[in-house]
This record gives sequence, structure tokens and C-alpha cells, in this order.
Amino acid sequence: MERVALEALGVSKAYGTRDALCTVDLIARHGQLHGLLGPNGAGKTTLMRVLLGLVRRDAGTVRLLGRDLAAAAGAVPDGVAGLVEVPAFYPYLSGRRNLELLARLDGASRSLSRTRIAAALDQTGLGAQADLAVGGYSAGMRQRLGLASALLRSPRLVFLDEPTSTLDPGGARDVRALARRLADEGAAVVLSSHDMTEVDELCTAVTIINGGRVVFSGAVDDLRAHAPAMVHALRTSDDAAALAIAAHRPRLNVAANADGGLDVSADIDVLDAYVIALGYAGIAVRVLEHRSRSLESLFLELTAGGDRRTLAQPSAGADDDAADLEAAS
Amino acid sequence: MTIRGCAAVVNVECVKLAAQIKARAALAVCAAGPFAFAAAMRVQSSLPEDTLFGRSVKESGFAVPLVVLGFAALWVFPLLASVVGGDVFSAEDRYGTWKMVLTRSRSRSEVFAGKVVTALAFSLLAVGVLAVSSMAAGVLLVGSQPLVNLSGVLLDPAQATTRIALAWVSILLPSLGLTATAALLSIGTRSSVVGIGVPVVVSLAMQLAALVDGPEAIRQLMISSAFGAWHGLLAEPPYYGPLIRGTAVSAAYFAICLAMAYRLLLRRDIAG
Repeated sequence: MERVALEALGVSKAYGTRDALCTVDLIARHGQLHGLLGPNGAGKTTLMRVLLGLVRRDAGTVRLLGRDLAAAAGAVPDGVAGLVEVPAFYPYLSGRRNLELLARLDGASRSLSRTRIAAALDQTGLGAQADLAVGGYSAGMRQRLGLASALLRSPRLVFLDEPTSTLDPGGARDVRALARRLADEGAAVVLSSHDMTEVDELCTAVTIINGGRVVFSGAVDDLRAHAPAMVHALRTSDDAAALAIAAHRPRLNVAANADGGLDVSADIDVLDAYVIALGYAGIAVRVLEHRSRSLESLFLELTAGGDRRTLAQPSAGADDDAADLEAAS
Repeated sequence: MTIRGCAAVVNVECVKLAAQIKARAALAVCAAGPFAFAAAMRVQSSLPEDTLFGRSVKESGFAVPLVVLGFAALWVFPLLASVVGGDVFSAEDRYGTWKMVLTRSRSRSEVFAGKVVTALAFSLLAVGVLAVSSMAAGVLLVGSQPLVNLSGVLLDPAQATTRIALAWVSILLPSLGLTATAALLSIGTRSSVVGIGVPVVVSLAMQLAALVDGPEAIRQLMISSAFGAWHGLLAEPPYYGPLIRGTAVSAAYFAICLAMAYRLLLRRDIAG
């Protein structure tokens, strides 16, 4: 098991009477891309802010690279970098000048910062625009500049808050590659997202929060093991009859959709057999489309509405996860 | 908090200031304004006789820095004191850059200290430029004739220079007190308009309030009174009571406002 880079235990934060975070645990290890998933308003960004010392926590402990982060006002340890939401810079200065100032705040010498800035701009593809005033940058360029500013700190622990949200597909691909490379080089990367697909592709571990509480934490493979079969939307010439046929078939769940049609949840071989059975019964299949990926289905299930399901606590292993899932089901 | 950390923040703030038009414009006006005033006095027939030393501006160049000092006390010093102090914190809110600044290797204490030192230094620099410029304008464009002081005693050029220098030094602490007030407003309201504008407006209001009858204790607690305390230095014999009171009041404004501002920044959640 890799060394722990981030250990946040029992972190709570309330704004007035509203609990933004409730005893959240998050542990990320070196060499690991750790997804932080949740719907909008789940508390991901607040958690990132707490972990970077921007927001004071009401309770809990935070250790970054083995150093306790003071509850308020402490400096972020060297080797820790983070981007919260869309990065912001001084618009009247160039991108390069902004990076120079941030490097000075880090205490880097001029020669070292020059070298690092050039490398960071190169890695983020901003070299050609580096001497333009930031005021003229697009949101995507600012995001890239933000990533460059994070790279200046030679990070061993990186927080990225929805880093691809403002990027075009090519830019998003570059950022994912960069995140993966940082992890391959031994850094712990905590990637916040509300896109299960992105986390599924990139991360080996994931923490899902909803309503400020952790509803799952563990390996993505463990989460995948809990995921339901794929969900398809089905429209037939006779939905009622199709529903009746489904009732007698094992490993197949079919339910009427509120918008009309049917939702079919089944593994692909069971689904194939069901479609053939419909044909034999004289029921025409008019629409059969993939509705969501299996992990996405579980994510939506975990974070839907006010019902809060919990698969596992962060420290729990896969066996515990399974038990919790059964209990929750 | 380390000296090195504060110095890094000061360095960054200086680079930002140098890139901003407002800072350069303020210093340029401080440098050129007194020369424009002295030149105008030379060519026009009327004199600003309702101002202290106004009737002497054609007789002695040493009257020029004192006229500028009296005029600047109304709103120029409050503006110079707050033009950076009132914006140095709220600019980070305006640009949304707190999250970038506070996720580097500097603590909030170092960021606070560095920004405050920069704002205070700018205030001192602006007042210093205005002082040197007005003295130079007077001596170069009018001459270094002896100056008749407020008691009608003639001061030779050396005496006049010393008294004028002390008079300008006496408004440094009130200026710093207003800079601290502006910094507090800048942090507290997160608005540069409030941070820069309110100290000017409050200072003007205090000077108007000083003209009406009211409790003497209240009047003495107004920082605006400290900007006029130098009058005692140009009397014969000099009197220092207003100067001492003004210095104490300014020091209180300075300490209280900075303490409150520091506490606000330490406790603040950077959520935007």
C-alpha cells in the first residue's frame, strides 16, 4: 500500500444551521488518482477549500504530506497544490508575470522560477499566450494557467476541482493526461468531479459525497462490483405486455418509466434474450437505447433525492462494502 | 510568520502596484502638483489669503509647502492614505484571487503583514514625494526668503526648513492611521470603493463636524484634528499639546484598525 499523502478525518463545516460537511473522511495515497464525486452542491468544493485552508473547519483533523494543517490561517505545506473552481489571476498582468508572482510567494529563486515557469507553461500548452494579459484569456486558458501555477509547486499532493469543466474536449484530454502523469510520478491527485465517467476512466479510488456526507469511499473496482447492471430505455408496440413477459425472467428488472416507455436493468446477455422473447411474442421493439453506464447508475442511485444511502465508510474494506450495500438495499 | 515570508508578499505587492496606473498617477500628481500650484501663484495677481500662509506665497518659497500642507489635509492626505490601503485587500476579492494567494507557501499572517506594509509604505512615499516636491517648488519658483510665522516672527531659511520638515513629519502618523482605517474597510467590506472612498468622506465629515459646537472630547478623538496639529510648530513659542493628542489619536486608530483587520482576515472563509 502506498504512503498516505492526505488524511482528513472527521471534517465538519456548517454555515449557520446548514451542515456543508458532516464528519467527512478522505484519505488519498501517493501514486493514486482519487476521485471526489458528488452532485452539484454535495460539498466537494467546500471540502477542497477546507483541505487547502481556505475555509476553516469546525471539527476534524487534516494532515497534508504528514503535516497538520492548522484549523485556520496556516500556510499550505510545500509540495501541496490545488485549484478550486476556475482559477483567477490579476487581469492586468500577463500569464507569465502572474506565475512569477505566485512563484515568489512560494519563495522560489528567480532563476529556479524562470525554469519552472517555462516548463509549466510548456506542459499546459500555454507557451504561446504566456505574455498576453490574462484579462484577454478564455476560461479554458485560465484553467490551463491555473494548472501551470499548481505545477510550479512540484506537487506531491494536488487538488483539482472539476479541472475539465471549462475545457474543450482536447483540453480536457490533456488535463486528464497530466493528472495521470502526476500520479504516475508518485503524486497523490484528488480530482473532484460530478462526472462519473471521468472518474471511472481516471481514478483508482473514489469518495462519493452527497449532502455533505460520505456515501462511499474505496477502490473504484469495489464500487464497480456493487454497480447494478446497465440501464436501457425501451419502447415497444405494447409496453404492458412487455412488462408482463419480463416479470417471469430472472436477473431482469423492468419498470415503467414516468416519462413513458420502460427502464430495463439487466446484463447484456439477459437483455438480448429478453428482446428475442419480445419478438417471439409479437411485440415490436421501437427504441432500445443505452441510458447510463453501470457506475453512473450506482452514482445516481447513491446521490438521488433526499434518501441517503451509504455503501461504506472510508476505512472499510471491500467485504464491509458489500455488507453495507446489502443492508442498504 | 517570518520576515522572509512578509518580504516575499511585499515584493509581489510592489510589482502589482508598479503595474497599476492609479499608483503611478497618484505619485505623479504628488510630484507635479506643487510645481503647478507655485507656477500658478507666480503668474496670478490674487493670493489664497483665506489659507494659512496663503498671503506669503509670493514673498517666501517656504510658504508653498505649508499652503500645500493645509490644503492637502482636507482630502488629499485621506485620499493618498487610502488609495492603496483601501484596495490592497479588496482587490483580491474583486479579481477572485484570494484562493490563489492563500494556497501558496505564505500564511495569512504573512500575507496580511506584507500587504499592510506595502500600503503603509505607499502612503509614506506619497506624502514624502508631496513634501519634497512642494518644498522644491517653493524654493525653486519663489525663492528661499525668510518666512514670517503665525506669531509674526521671522524665521530664517534654516529655521523655516526645520519647522516645515517637522510639520510634514507630524502628518505621517495620521496618514498611517487613515491607511489602517482604509485597510480595515477593505477587508471588512471587500469593496475598493468603500475602502478608498469612505476614509476621504469620513475625514471631510470630521473636519466639518469640528467646525460645529460639540463635546471637546469627541472633537479630539477625530483623526482629522491631527492633520492640523502642526500649526503649533509654526507659532512662537511653539506649542505641542495638539500634536501630542493628535499623535496619540492617530496611533490608536492605527493599532485598533489593524488589529481588527488582522482578526477579520484570519477568521475569514474564502468561499468566493
